[in-house]
Amino acid sequence: MQIESILPARSFARFKIGRTEYNTKESVSGILFALPCIVLSIIFVFLPIFISLMYAFTDANMLRLDRVTFVGLENFARAFEDPDIVNALRNTAIFVACVTPLQFGASLGLAVLLNRVRHCNTFLRWAFFIPVMLSLAVTSMLWMNLLNVQEGLINTFIEILGGERQGFLEDPTQALYCIVFISAWQGAGYQMLIFLSALQNIPKDLYEAASIDQASKWQQFIHITLPSIKPTMVFVLITMLIGAFRICIQPMVMTGGGPLGSTMTMSYYIYKTGIDYRDVGYSSAIALLYTFLIATVSLGLRKLLGGDNQK
Amino acid sequence: MKTVSSGKKSWNNDIKAGHAKRLAVKIAVKIALVILCAFLCFIFLFPVVWMVSNSFKTNDQVYAQMASWQTFFPPSWDITTWWVSYTKLFTDFGDFGQSILNSILYCSVTIVMVLLINSLAGYALARFKFPGSKVMTTIILLLMMVPVETSVVPTYIILYYLGLIGEGTAVIGYLIPGFASLFYTYMFRQYFLSMPPEIEEAARLDGCSRIGVFFRMILPLSKPIFATVAIFTFMGSWNEYIFAQLMFPNPSYQPLQVFLQLVNTSTPKDIGMVMASLTISTIPIAIVYIFAQKYIVEGVSFTGLK
Repeated sequence: MQIESILPARSFARFKIGRTEYNTKESVSGILFALPCIVLSIIFVFLPIFISLMYAFTDANMLRLDRVTFVGLENFARAFEDPDIVNALRNTAIFVACVTPLQFGASLGLAVLLNRVRHCNTFLRWAFFIPVMLSLAVTSMLWMNLLNVQEGLINTFIEILGGERQGFLEDPTQALYCIVFISAWQGAGYQMLIFLSALQNIPKDLYEAASIDQASKWQQFIHITLPSIKPTMVFVLITMLIGAFRICIQPMVMTGGGPLGSTMTMSYYIYKTGIDYRDVGYSSAIALLYTFLIATVSLGLRKLLGGDNQK
Repeated sequence: MKTVSSGKKSWNNDIKAGHAKRLAVKIAVKIALVILCAFLCFIFLFPVVWMVSNSFKTNDQVYAQMASWQTFFPPSWDITTWWVSYTKLFTDFGDFGQSILNSILYCSVTIVMVLLINSLAGYALARFKFPGSKVMTTIILLLMMVPVETSVVPTYIILYYLGLIGEGTAVIGYLIPGFASLFYTYMFRQYFLSMPPEIEEAARLDGCSRIGVFFRMILPLSKPIFATVAIFTFMGSWNEYIFAQLMFPNPSYQPLQVFLQLVNTSTPKDIGMVMASLTISTIPIAIVYIFAQKYIVEGVSFTGLK
C-alpha cells in the first residue's frame, strides 16, 4: 500500500521519522485534512473498544460509573456459567444456521431466475427488491401485525383455508423461525442485486462454447456460472453471516426477546445487560467474547474459502 | 439433448416427434416459470401491498375486509375517502409531524458531515504523504476485516461523560458518532486514487491552494462517489433505530423510525393508522431507490455494503 506524494510541493522543508522522509508542509496539510476524521474515529471507534476492554474487568454499573472496582476475570467466569448466555447463543446459532442458507439460496435463485426470464424482467426485479426498501423497524412492525394471533392477516387466511390459528411470534417454538423467515424475506432482494450484476458480467461466449460442446443447461450452471461468481458468493456469504450474527432489531421490536426467551439473541442480550440491567462490566465482557467469536468465524471462513477478491 | 434418435423407423418422422417433444418440454418449462414467478411475486409483494392498501382504510374497514380479496385493495375507488387514517394520525399523535421533521433534520446534518469529513480524510490518504498515513490505511483495512460487536453501550458511556445525553444535548450526542466512518473514508480514498493526478498538479502550478484544489477540482469531478456515499448515508441514517430509541426517550425529539413504535404499540390499536405511519416512513426511501437506482446498483455491486 504505497502512498506517494504526487502533488508538487512549494516548500522543501523536510523532516524524517525513522527512515521515511516527509515534506513538512505536505504533512501538515495532510493531517489537517484528515484531522476531523481522526479525532472522531478516536473518540467513537477506538475509545469504545478501549472502554469495553477496560470495563470488562470491572463491576462497572451505569448508575455509578464513578465508583468502579477491578474484579479480574469474574465477569468472564460468570459468562461461562450464565444459562441466559447459553440460551442466547443457541438462539443465535439456530438463527444464523437457518437464515444464511435460506437467504443465500433465495437471493442466488432469484438472480438466476431474473437472468433467465425475459418478460416483465424490470417488474420482477422491483417486486423482489421492494422489501429491501422497508427498514428493519418497519418490516418488524408490519409482520408483527400480519402474524398477530387474534386478528392477523396470515391467521385469517389459515382459518379460511381450514387450518388452525398459529401462535407465530407468541409461540416459543415458532417465534424464532418466524424471525428467520422475516429477515430472509426482507434481505434477499439486496444480495440478489449483487448476484445479478455478477451474473451479467460473465462473458456470453463461455456459454456459446459450452452449448456447441453439447453441455446441458445444468452442466453449464455448475461448470461456468458457479465458478465465475465464486468470489461474489464468498463475499456475500461472509457479509450475510456477520449480519446474521448481529441480529438485534427484529427481536427487540417484535418480541422483546420472548416468549420465554426463545428469541433472545446475543447482540440483544449484550444490549439488554448493558442498558436495561445497567450491568456495564458484564455486558462489556460478553461483548468482547462475542466479538472474538464472530471475528474467528469470519476470518476462518475467509481463509477456508480462499478469500474474496472483490476487496 | 439428442437431435436424431437412432431407430429403424424413417428418421424423418423421428425428427418431427423429437421436435414436438422438445416443444412440449419448452412450453411446460415456460408455464412452470410463470407459475414460479407469480408465486414469488406474491410472497415478496403481499405484505407491502397489504400495508399500503390498509393505510387507506379506517380500523373498522380493515377488519371488515380482512377475510376477503378486498384486503389487498383500497376500501373503494373514491380516492377522497382514502385519507382518513392519515389525517387521524397527524391529529391523534401531535408529535408525528415533528418526528418527520426530526428525521429530515438528522439525515441532512449527517449526510453533509459524513461527506465533508470522510472525503477530506480519504483525499488526505490518497494524495498526501504524512506521518501515520500508512498506519491509518492499515488500521482501516483491519477494522473492516474484524467485525466489532455492539459499541452501543460504550458509546453511550462516552456521551455520558461528554455531557451529551441530556434533553437538549442528546441531539448532538445522537448525531456525532455517525459522522466519521472509516468505511466511507476508504471508499473515497479508493476513488481518488483512481483519478489521474495531472489535473491537480496543473491547478497547483497555477497557484491554487490544496483546499482550493479539493473543492474546485476534485469535488466536481467525483460526483458519482459523493452521490453513492450520500445515498447510503441517507438510508442508514433514515433507518437507524437502536441508538435513536436509546437516546430519545422524549417523543418530541424522536426520529420517525422510533416514533412508529409508539403508534404501533398504542392502545386501542388502530391498524389503518399504523399502516399509514409505516407507509409514510417508507416513501422517502422508495423515492431515493427509484430516482437514484443507478448509483445504488453501482454501489451495491461495487462495495456490497450494508
